[in-house]
This record gives sequence, C-alpha cells and structure tokens, in this order.
Amino acid sequence: MAWVTEWWKTASKASSVWRLTRLYTGLLLAVVAVLLVVLYQLSIGQMSRQQVLQMDSLIAQQKQLSEQLSGNEFIEQFQIQSSSSRQYILTYQYKTSEQSQLVGRLSVIPKNLSFCPKLTRFAIWLDRYDEIRLISGCAQPLADGLLIVAIDDEYLYELKAQFISASVIALLLALLLGLITGFIFSMKVLKRINSFNQTALKVESGQLSARVEVSRNNDEYDHMALHINTMLSQLEHSFETIAGITDAIAHDLRTPLSHLRQQIESEIHNKLKQNLPTEQLENMLVKLDEILFTFSAMLELTRLQQQKEQTSQYFKMIELQQVITDAIDLVEPLAEEKQQTVQLIHSETTMINGDATLLFRAVYNLLENASKYAGEKAHIEIRLTETGFIISDNGPGISDEEKEKVFQRLYRIEKSRQVSGFGLGLTLVKAIIQLHNGQIQLLDNNPGLSVHIKF
Amino acid sequence: MRILVIEDNQTTREYLQKALQEQGYEVDLADNGQDGLFLALEGDYQLILLDRMLPKLDGLAVLSTLRNAGKQTPVLILSALDSVSERVKGLREGGDDYLIKPFALSELLIRIEILIQRKGSTNKKQSSTLQVADLKMDLLSHKVFRGLTEISLQPKEFKLLRYLMEHSGQVLSRSLLFEAVWDYQFDPQTNVIDVHMARLRKKVEFDGLTPLLETVRGMGYRMVENR
Repeated sequence: MAWVTEWWKTASKASSVWRLTRLYTGLLLAVVAVLLVVLYQLSIGQMSRQQVLQMDSLIAQQKQLSEQLSGNEFIEQFQIQSSSSRQYILTYQYKTSEQSQLVGRLSVIPKNLSFCPKLTRFAIWLDRYDEIRLISGCAQPLADGLLIVAIDDEYLYELKAQFISASVIALLLALLLGLITGFIFSMKVLKRINSFNQTALKVESGQLSARVEVSRNNDEYDHMALHINTMLSQLEHSFETIAGITDAIAHDLRTPLSHLRQQIESEIHNKLKQNLPTEQLENMLVKLDEILFTFSAMLELTRLQQQKEQTSQYFKMIELQQVITDAIDLVEPLAEEKQQTVQLIHSETTMINGDATLLFRAVYNLLENASKYAGEKAHIEIRLTETGFIISDNGPGISDEEKEKVFQRLYRIEKSRQVSGFGLGLTLVKAIIQLHNGQIQLLDNNPGLSVHIKF
Repeated sequence: MRILVIEDNQTTREYLQKALQEQGYEVDLADNGQDGLFLALEGDYQLILLDRMLPKLDGLAVLSTLRNAGKQTPVLILSALDSVSERVKGLREGGDDYLIKPFALSELLIRIEILIQRKGSTNKKQSSTLQVADLKMDLLSHKVFRGLTEISLQPKEFKLLRYLMEHSGQVLSRSLLFEAVWDYQFDPQTNVIDVHMARLRKKVEFDGLTPLLETVRGMGYRMVENR
C-alpha cells in the first residue's frame, strides 16, 4: 500500500499534464455516471416502481375483498382471480379446523417469506416456461389467512444485470477516453509551454538571440509568443547597444592611453639615465596598465561572445588533464603561501576540441579564485569527469543570489572588494566555456563552492 | 643590427624608432604595407616589426609574401587584435612572435633581443649541460647542482631555471618566462610568476650563497654570473 500513496503523492505534485488529465477524466466520468443514473431511473427504476404500485393495489384489493366477503366467497373469487391473472402468481393459505389449506398456483409456501411490502426471491417450477424460475413475492396476512403475492420479474433482474454491466463498460470506456484525450490535449498545451520554458532557459544562459516558436494557429499562445519575441528583440538590441558603447569607449580610449603609456615609459627611461627617482612614474604606469588590462579584457570578452565561429575554426583536440595539470602547477605556489592544499582526482581521459590557451585561462582563473577566496588552509579539489571537470573548495562559498550575478561583467561580491581583481574573471571563464559549447554551474559544496563544468 | 618597422600610426612609429635607436639598433621605417614589403624584400634586416593592420597591404599579406619569397627574417607581429584566431593566423603565416598593443617597451625590447639571438643560435651546437657560475644543469639526467649540492626541482621549476640559464645575462620579462615554461600565449597579469621566482630563488640561492637571479625593476628577471 505504501507505494500507492507514495505514487499518488509524487503524481499529484507532478506536471500540470497529469493534473489537467485527472480533472478532465473526473468530469467526463461524473457526466457519464449522472447520465446512467438518470437513464436507470427512467427505465428500470420506473418499471420496478410500476410493479410495486400494481402489487400494492392488488394486495389492497384482496385485503378489502377478504374483509367484505365471507370466507368461502373470498376463496371462490380468489380461485378465479389466481387462475385468470397472467402476471401474478397468487396463493391463499387459510386454516380449516384440522390443517391449513392452500388455494392458488403455489403448491407449497416457501420458507422465510417476508411480509409485504418487502419482497423475497424464491424459485418455483413454472408450467408456462417449463422451467424453474426465480420470482419475487411476499406474504400479506388477511382476515382469515395469509395471501402470497409473487411476480415473475426475472426479466427485470436480467435487465438490471445487463444495465449494470453495460454501465461498467460505459464508465471504463469513458475513463479510457478521458485519459487518452485529456493526455493528448494536455501534452499539446504543455508542449507549447515547454517551448516558452526552453527559450527562457536559453536567454537565461546568455543566448539572447533565442526566440519562442510561433505556430500558424494564431491562438493565445501565439499572441503571447509574439509579444515575448518582440520583448526579447528589444532587449537584445539594447544589450548590443550597451555592449557596443562600452566596447567603443574601451576601443577609442585604448589608443590615447597607449600613447600615454609610451610617454610615461620614455620619461622613466630619461629619468633612469639621469639617475633620478622614477617611483612615482612607475606607480602611474601600474595604474595605467590596470585600466588598459580591464579594457583589453572587456574587448576580448565581446570578441569571445560574438566571434564564436571564427575562433572555433582554429580548435584542436586537447587533453583536458594536461591543461588542468599545467594550471595547478601555476597556482600551486599561491596556494602554498596560504597553506592550502590542491588535489587533482582523475580517472577519465577527457579530450576536448578547443583552444588550449583559452581553456588553460579558464581553469587557472577558477583555481586562482578558489585560492583567493577559500581562505587559509582550505582544501581545493579538482576532479576530472567524463564530460568536464569540477573544482570545489571548502571555503565560505557564495550565496545563491550571488551565484547568478558573479557571471555579470564587472560585478564583484561586496565582501571581496578588498581582494584585487576586476570583476571580469568569471565572466571570461563563462565566455570561454560557452565558446567550447560547455556549461558552467555554481553549486554549494557544504561548506564551500563547487564549480561544475560540462562540455 | 638593422630593424625594419612597418607601422601606420605615426606616434607609435616615431616612438619605436626613438626607443630602438637608443638601444643601438639602426631603424628603417615604412608607413604602409606596400613600402614595407618592398624594403623587407630588398634590404637585409635582423628583424622586422610588423603591424597587423596596415593600409595598402595588410600585415598578414606582407608576411606571407615575404615567406613565399624565401625571406626568413624574424618577424614580430604587433597587433591590437588580441584573439585566438588572429594569433594563430599570424603565427601560421610565419610570424615568429606576437605582441599585443599596447605593450610595454621593455617587453618589446626583451622579445626583440630573444628573436635576434634565437636566429643566431640555431646553428650553434647544443650542449648537454648548462652552467652559470657554480650552478650546473645536466639536460640529460635532469639533475641540477649548486657546487656539489644537488638541488631537487619540480618539472616546471626545472624548465624555468633552464630558460633562465639558457638566456643568462638577458633580462626576461614575466610573460616571456610564463610562455617559455607553460607554453600558453597570454599574460597572466598577476604576481604569480614572482611567486614562482621567489620559490626557485630559495632553492638555488640557499645558505647565503652568491645570488644568481636578479630582479630588474619594471622589466623582469635576469640570471647573472658576476654581481
């Protein structure tokens, strides 16, 4: 029984298809059941009520006669009545001085016969059919004896039985029909909704060019799809404009800034020749390089996001493990300074069609982030899987709402602002992973953060 | 030592000319691809600095024509286009190195020196041991000795030390060291190479022995025999 309740719980929580189908089937069954009840009442119910009424009036008539007529007169009229009645099987039992006498069609009074109006079924031999038939009858005490009224209603019982089996079949058919049509209709609706969902998911993952499918039906769903598509187009356009502006700024400022860099560098050269201090100029150079680096990274990001096809023509088959080992070699002394341990777990040889330098940067960025934010003595683990890799640490982790935001350009978690960085690292990682048709997901490691990459 | 600079931006061209002349190089200039290609084919240069985007004839076209004509002059491509495909294209067409604008002058000078030296050293006989002062490296057994003490190094540390020893006396920038040891072309932009150098230094200059690795401010590192 346990599994039934379990199934019911999960099924009732499951998709709207199941709920719609259930509702539809329930309604269909209810309608069919009501129809059957009405039909029954109008046919068989009416017939049996008629029969009961006739029987009642017959009994009332005999009762009255037995009171009006003397004993013998009554028996006489009863004999005529019982032999002439085709429908009813009438019998009268009365007592003489010694024994009880029977007048009418029955040769014996059945046992356990109940008093009218309650009917009892019993079997008799009927000459008319030359067979044993089940009939219904009851006993009614009269002034001087006992009246037994019975009626051959086997046809009514058969009719009832047939009606019930026909009803059961009808209900089963209705159930089947309800489930099938309900399921088909609901699936159609769900398919439409799913296409909306899939588009939303694509947009969420940064694919702003995704659009909802519009059918030719021109129904409410199509109207909704058209509205959503228009909205997405406007959004995409706005995003492109914004990205274009930032890129244009970055691009236009890069040239004068690099000339500024050249001038500062020459000045440092001159000062060095004259043995003058250059510290101030060098600090300026460091700051300038930070700006230039941010601009380059932003431009590079846009290129990675836009020039997917141009870049991927230069892809080669790369052994992921080699890239990861190289990245660990690079990050290892940084981790060592913080007494962190870095462990590589691998059982798979994963080959990827991609760019080694880009993949290396992604892996190194993630490892460097883990080392930067996981804290002293943290344990960083990198695990190769069949389709990618997982980098986990046991540091403080990040909250769910920030898991989405960290991939945005120039976004930095409030508490990490004192750590050096530009807020472009994870955006770049995501762009690189997407360039390789991969997915990146941040999950809780309880405690810590776990970054899942799947290609 | 003659260097040909093919660069259309006047500010950059003049800046490069001045900086290279200060280093003692003779410099020829071209401000478009056509003139540049003509000079490169006719003249005898130790190195060509080639801008990627040029009027009249594109940088890559200059490079491929030059190589097809059999000229093997080392070419350092300067480009504002920092993308995987651009870099691969540049190196595939026969470029020897690729530097992204804006670049540090020190980085450019270091790379020019490495390229010119590499060209000269290709005919040199490769020795199986390297030695700087009392630091010896056996390239076959992968063993390193400082005096009589063996130094145990991790594979990447070995590569790093080897590169420094092979270019002893030359200033090597952080990104150059990174590219040489890790073989990925990008600038890690962090102090991670400094951390690696500090660790290597601890292993090589133990017990107050004479320092061999010198930090050159604003430029990088240098392995020196006598200080």
